[in-house]
Amino acid sequence: MNFRHVWAVMRKEFHHIIRDRATLFLVLFTPTLLLLLMAYALTVDIKHVPIAVLDYDATQTSRAFVQQITAGQDLDLYAMVYSIDEIDALLVNGEIKAALVIAPGFDRDLLSLRGMPLQVIIDGTEPNSGNFAVEHISARAETFVDSAVLSQWQPAGVSSDSLSVLDVRVQTWFNPDLKPRNDLVPGLISMVLGLPALSVALTLAHEREHGTLEQLLATPIKRAELLLGKIFPYVVVGLLNVILIPWLAIMWFKISFNGNFALFFGLSAIFMFGVLSMGIVVGVFMRTQAAALALSFLVIFFPGFFLTGIFFPLASMPEEMRMEAMFLPGTHYAIVTRGIFLPGVGMEVLWPYAVMMAVLGLVYIALAALFFKKKLG
Amino acid sequence: MDYQPAILAKDLTKRFGDFTAVDHINFNVQHGEIFGFLGPNGSGKTTTIRMLLGLMKPGEGSVEVLGLKVEKDTSKIRPRVGYMSQRFSLYNDLTVLQNLNFYGQAYGLENSLLQKRIAEALHMAGLERHENTQTRDLSGGWRQRLALGAAILHRPEVLFLDEPTAGVDPLSRRAFWDLLYKLVSTPLQPETNQASLESEMREQRGVTVFITTHYMDEAEHSHRLAFIQHGKIIASGSPIEIKTQKMPGDVLEISPSDAAGAVKVLRSAQNDGKLPLNEIVLYGSLVHVIAPDILRHEQAITVILQNSGIQPGVMTVIEPSLEDVFIACMKS
Repeated sequence: MNFRHVWAVMRKEFHHIIRDRATLFLVLFTPTLLLLLMAYALTVDIKHVPIAVLDYDATQTSRAFVQQITAGQDLDLYAMVYSIDEIDALLVNGEIKAALVIAPGFDRDLLSLRGMPLQVIIDGTEPNSGNFAVEHISARAETFVDSAVLSQWQPAGVSSDSLSVLDVRVQTWFNPDLKPRNDLVPGLISMVLGLPALSVALTLAHEREHGTLEQLLATPIKRAELLLGKIFPYVVVGLLNVILIPWLAIMWFKISFNGNFALFFGLSAIFMFGVLSMGIVVGVFMRTQAAALALSFLVIFFPGFFLTGIFFPLASMPEEMRMEAMFLPGTHYAIVTRGIFLPGVGMEVLWPYAVMMAVLGLVYIALAALFFKKKLG
Repeated sequence: MDYQPAILAKDLTKRFGDFTAVDHINFNVQHGEIFGFLGPNGSGKTTTIRMLLGLMKPGEGSVEVLGLKVEKDTSKIRPRVGYMSQRFSLYNDLTVLQNLNFYGQAYGLENSLLQKRIAEALHMAGLERHENTQTRDLSGGWRQRLALGAAILHRPEVLFLDEPTAGVDPLSRRAFWDLLYKLVSTPLQPETNQASLESEMREQRGVTVFITTHYMDEAEHSHRLAFIQHGKIIASGSPIEIKTQKMPGDVLEISPSDAAGAVKVLRSAQNDGKLPLNEIVLYGSLVHVIAPDILRHEQAITVILQNSGIQPGVMTVIEPSLEDVFIACMKS
């Protein structure tokens, strides 16, 4: 390994990156833009979901209940209706996302602590809003029971423990406000920081397409030196993002960062090496930039999205998928970012993931060097 | 020290599936000569040059460059040879200076030496005031001279040029060849601080150039050359040797009133056995007729043309051009 050669290639790559303003902008800011976009698109707090209410009970209690349900900004009373058919029509037209049906005898059953005969109808084609309505109706019903019912029964010695009407006990750790962003943003960081891998895959294909690769291979620069020289500039650019993006997460999304930043930076550098090596493997196999881009999406970007456990828990994936996920540096890095951001854990917990990312990086770059040789032989 | 040719190819062969791109070719290139490798497109020129450089593994046979086996000693050969690949091989988005810096560093030149060589390369290519121009903004001829400058920054002993003048205007082609001649005849000055016995020896023998082309006039400029067709060498030697050995006769140049008509008439006479000619070739408004001892047939040719109402015009026996020889070789 001749570091003068690696340095020559690095300098050249830096010139390429800096020369083209568009490339520079893309490399520097795409991760940031993508993070902003996805963090907003995926976690917009749902508000003002229109619902209809069909009140068969029509008592003072049921009316008070309806008032309680629609008191906040989350659920809006779109209409009081008088038949199931009307609900059907409103749902079909998309005017409401959910409907609350209060059964006859609501008042009597509730006040005698026999139960709470309620039905919630949701639009299954839009489960997000529907589930949101169910959750919020349940939560408000709980409050309602507390305030309206228990006040009557407390003097008689009934505590909330003996109430079987609603009994939900959720204990939330780490993200007590249950703000989805607190968990999502660190996960997304692991995904968007993998983006420079696409650029690396493209640069090698670009050299092949333009005939400059043949010239490069005729120089004394060795193949491994060439590959490393191509990766390092993008590691540096990636690490600029490693500073920019947590800053964005903390300042903009108000996500608490409980861990050690130096540790985060160091582990991010290892991740960069891992994911960029993956990118260079793609570049070695593909002859054109278009093909390299397509393959990058297939093996780096989409798996980074779906398989790294950011959106879909790894535990619920089939065995083969979980195995595949282990080969993605992003899977390990997602655990690292979440661990450092929220619980603020240190190396004592994260070392296996650091080792895995480093090993994957070395394996990928070795593979790249091996196949690079064969491909031109 | 045993004498070693600069390049020695033995039974060099490359197959791609059923297609044989290069078929058992043998040749050697002497130190300090310009060796032209001439052939039509797709005849195996680029495949050969890639094997000579160790960029492609030969199917059979072997190559030695500077007395070293290419397959085994690639890393020893690389710093001592230069290469200009067929397509323009510098980076369009980098400046002239950035390109030269990169290639100089790729060949491990120390910075002070590199700066000196870059100044020389800029001077040679006539690009002194264009260091900071993006390469894509240069015209074709300038790019080729810059690419040549980049390829000789490290003062290679052997220079491989793959169709360096393809698509370049005639004036720039001429300028490029002038540079090549200068390289070969007045070898590049070695730096005094770098002077060693080896580089002085190199100095004495000058640069060796292996150049592929499909331009006949360029082939004439080579010291020695080889014709390649369908992966086989069909003639080799100096231009004079090839012309005298491979030419099946003399060339009679005719300037008839109707050149195309003359070719038709003479061909039918040839087919009827009235004229024992080897070759009848149309050259624009001229016709080249080739046969051994051609002057014996001058009278017969005149009569045949006149009988068909064509004025024979001036007829002269000329020295065959390489194109004449090449066409004759390809047909036989």
